[in-house]
Amino acid sequence: MKQIPKSTWIKIRKKHFFPPLPFPKVKKGQERAALEIKDKQIYIDENFLSQISKKMQENDAIEALLDHAIAHYTFCPWDFATYLKLYAEAKKVSKDKDIAKRATDYFMDVVVDTYCVKEKESNIPSLYKYMEKGKIEQVMCALYQKIWGKDLNVSGFDELVRKLMRIPYINKKRWKEGIRRFTHILKPLLEEQIYQPASSPFGGHRSLFSKDSIDKGLMELALSSSSPQAFGELVNDFKEELKEKGFFGNEVGRGRGQESMANILYYMKLAQRYTLSLKKLPEKKSGSIYPHSHSPWEIEKPYQDIDIWTSFGKFLPGLTQVWNRREGEILYLEEKVPNCLIIIDSSGSMTDPRRNLSYAVLGAACACEAYLKHGSKVAVYNFSDAEVGGKYLLPFTQDRIAIYKSLCKYFGGGTYLRPTDIKFFECDDMDIFFITDMKISNFSDVVSYFNNIENRVTAVHIGESIHSQRFALSVSKKNNISLYHVQKREDIPKIVLGKVKEYLHQAF
Amino acid sequence: MKNPFFEFKDFRPKKREIPLDKIIASKEKVMDALIKAYDRLVEQEAKELVWLVSYHSVIRAYANAEKSIKDMQYGVEDIEEFLFEIENPSRLPYPIMGLCGLYISALCNHIKEKEIVLDLQNKNINLHLLGYRLPKGKRLIVYGDLGDFTGIGLNGGELLVEGNAGNWTGAGMRMGKIVVKKNVGRRTGEDMVGGEIYVEGKILGVGNVRYGRIYEKGGIVSP
Repeated sequence: MKQIPKSTWIKIRKKHFFPPLPFPKVKKGQERAALEIKDKQIYIDENFLSQISKKMQENDAIEALLDHAIAHYTFCPWDFATYLKLYAEAKKVSKDKDIAKRATDYFMDVVVDTYCVKEKESNIPSLYKYMEKGKIEQVMCALYQKIWGKDLNVSGFDELVRKLMRIPYINKKRWKEGIRRFTHILKPLLEEQIYQPASSPFGGHRSLFSKDSIDKGLMELALSSSSPQAFGELVNDFKEELKEKGFFGNEVGRGRGQESMANILYYMKLAQRYTLSLKKLPEKKSGSIYPHSHSPWEIEKPYQDIDIWTSFGKFLPGLTQVWNRREGEILYLEEKVPNCLIIIDSSGSMTDPRRNLSYAVLGAACACEAYLKHGSKVAVYNFSDAEVGGKYLLPFTQDRIAIYKSLCKYFGGGTYLRPTDIKFFECDDMDIFFITDMKISNFSDVVSYFNNIENRVTAVHIGESIHSQRFALSVSKKNNISLYHVQKREDIPKIVLGKVKEYLHQAF
Repeated sequence: MKNPFFEFKDFRPKKREIPLDKIIASKEKVMDALIKAYDRLVEQEAKELVWLVSYHSVIRAYANAEKSIKDMQYGVEDIEEFLFEIENPSRLPYPIMGLCGLYISALCNHIKEKEIVLDLQNKNINLHLLGYRLPKGKRLIVYGDLGDFTGIGLNGGELLVEGNAGNWTGAGMRMGKIVVKKNVGRRTGEDMVGGEIYVEGKILGVGNVRYGRIYEKGGIVSP
C-alpha cells in the first residue's frame, strides 16, 4: 500500500493555512472516484494514483488531489448548511434530485478547483490534463481551459463553455444565482448522462460532513424553510445519507398513521434553536432541629439538653452548659426539574403540522427539549375529540423520537379533553404544559380540573379568542398556573416553563 | 530556542489573476450598463411602477428602449444573463414584464447576430411583448412559455416559440413568421396585415385578421 509523504502533507497544510484535518490515507477504492472523503478523513484511490503517475509526477498528483479535498473544507461547501443551500437552488431549476445532486457536485468542484488554481498555485490543471474524461468532464475541462488559461487537451463545447464561463465561481455571495445558471446550462447534458455511474471524477460530496455539521445544517434549513413540506422535500432527498448518520430511524415509515421522519426532524431542529427558561422546583428544608451552640443552663431549662462534656460534670446553673438547637440545613427535597406532561391540542382548529408550521407543536417541542435537557422525562397527551378516540397517550419517557412522533400527530377532529385521561399520567411533582387554542367543547370541565390541581401548569393559548380570555379569567386566582399567548413564532421563546406566581410574590 | 512562529514569517498567500477575473469584470460592465438602461426605461415609462399597455405607450416605450441601448456592445449571452437578472430582485428591483419584454425585443432587434436563442424554461418569469418588431433576417428562438402580445408588429423576422404563447399573439404583425409549438390564447393575429402564424397546438380565439394567414395544427383557420 502506498503512503503519502509526510513532507507533502505539511506543505499542503501550510498552503491551506493548517486546516484541522487528519493525515490523509491511500486506499484501494471500488469506485471510479479518485478521492473519498468520510467525515474529515481523506482517502486517495491507489488505482487512480498508479494510473496517473504514469503521466505525471505522483507527488504532484497527490498534492493536486489534496488541494481539491481540503478546499472542500476550507472554501466550498465549507459546511452542510451551504451544501444544502446550493442543492436547494439546483433543485429549483432541475426539479430532479439526481440531476440536482450531480449539478451541485460539479459546481462545487469547479468552485474549489478554480479557487485552488487562483489562490493556491495548485497542480490541479495537470491532473485534469492527464486524467481520463467522460463527456461532462470534457465540458468541465473545456471550461477550465477558458477560465484558467491553461491547455488541458480538450476541444469543442464552445457554446456551453461560452455560457458557463460567465458565472462568478469564486464569489461566495453569488453562488446561489451561479448554481442556478450552472444547472440550467448543464441540465440537458446531465439528463443525458444520468445513467453514468460516477457523478464527479473526485467522487460525491455527501460523506464529507460530520454528524455535527449535518445537525447544524438541518437546523439552518428548518429555520429558513417556509413550511415543513418544503423542509421535508429537501430532507427526503438525502434520506439514505441521513439514515447512515443516524438521523432517520429504521422503524419510521410514511404509511397511514405514521408521522414522516422529515416532519419530526423539522420540528426537532427548529425547537433546538430556541431555549425556553425552566424554573426548577425550589428546595425544601427537612424541619428537623440539630444541636448548634452552647448557652448556660438555668433552672427552668430542660436538663436533657445538658452537654456533660463541656459542663465538666458539674450540675450548677450558670456553669453547666446546654445545647441550643436550630433547624438544620439538611434538605428534604433538593432543587430539581420534575417530569413534564405535555397536553397538546390537535383538533381541526389547530394548524396541521405537516402542511404549515404549527406553533403548538413547536412550542410543545421547545418545552420537551427544555425538560429533556435537564434529564427529566416527558409524557404526551395529544387530544382532539378524546371522547371518540381522537387521542394519543405516551407515558413518561426520554425517547426523543417517540415524543416528537406523538407531538406531530394530527387528528383534525373536534375538541374534547377528558380530565380522567390526565389521571393516567399522574405522579409526584409533575409539571403540565398545556398548549391549545382553548376552543374546547367541555371547557368548564377543563377549567375545573385545572382549578383543582396543585401541579405547576404552563398554559399556552394560540391566537386570541373569547375562550382564551375566559380561561385566563377562570384561573387568574391560581398561583400555580402561568398563562402565555402565542401569536407568532417570536412569542415562543418568551415562555417560562414552571413559572409559578408565588415565586414572584416571594421575591418582591 | 527555535521560534515556534517561524513558519508564519513572511508568509503571504499568492494572489494571481486568471482569465476568469477578466471575463467576469467585462461581463459585469456590460450587465451594469444593460441594467442601468432598463432602470432608465422604467423611470421614463412607469413612474408609479405601473405600466399600462396601449398602442401609443408601446411605441413610445420601444423608442425609449432603442434610445437607451444605442451604441451599447452586447451579445446573446448578455441578453440571456439579463433574463436571469429579472429573477434576481437585488439587482433588478422593478421587473415589469411588459417593459422587460419590450426592452429585450429592442436588444434582440439591434444585436449583430442573426439567430438569437433564449431559454426561459425553469424560470419564474412570464415575458410579454417579446418579438416586437423583429426585423427581416433575424430569427428568435424561445424555449419556454411567453405571455401576451408575443410577436406583435413583427417586421419580417421569424419567431419560434417552443412552448405556449398568450393572448394577442402576432397582433398587428406586418410580415414574417411566428411558430408556436404549443397553444396560444385569444385574439391571435388581431389586426395583422401580413405574415403567417403557425400554431401546432390549440388556438383559443382568432382576432380580426386583415391580411396574412393563421394555421392551427397544420390546417388554415384564417382567412
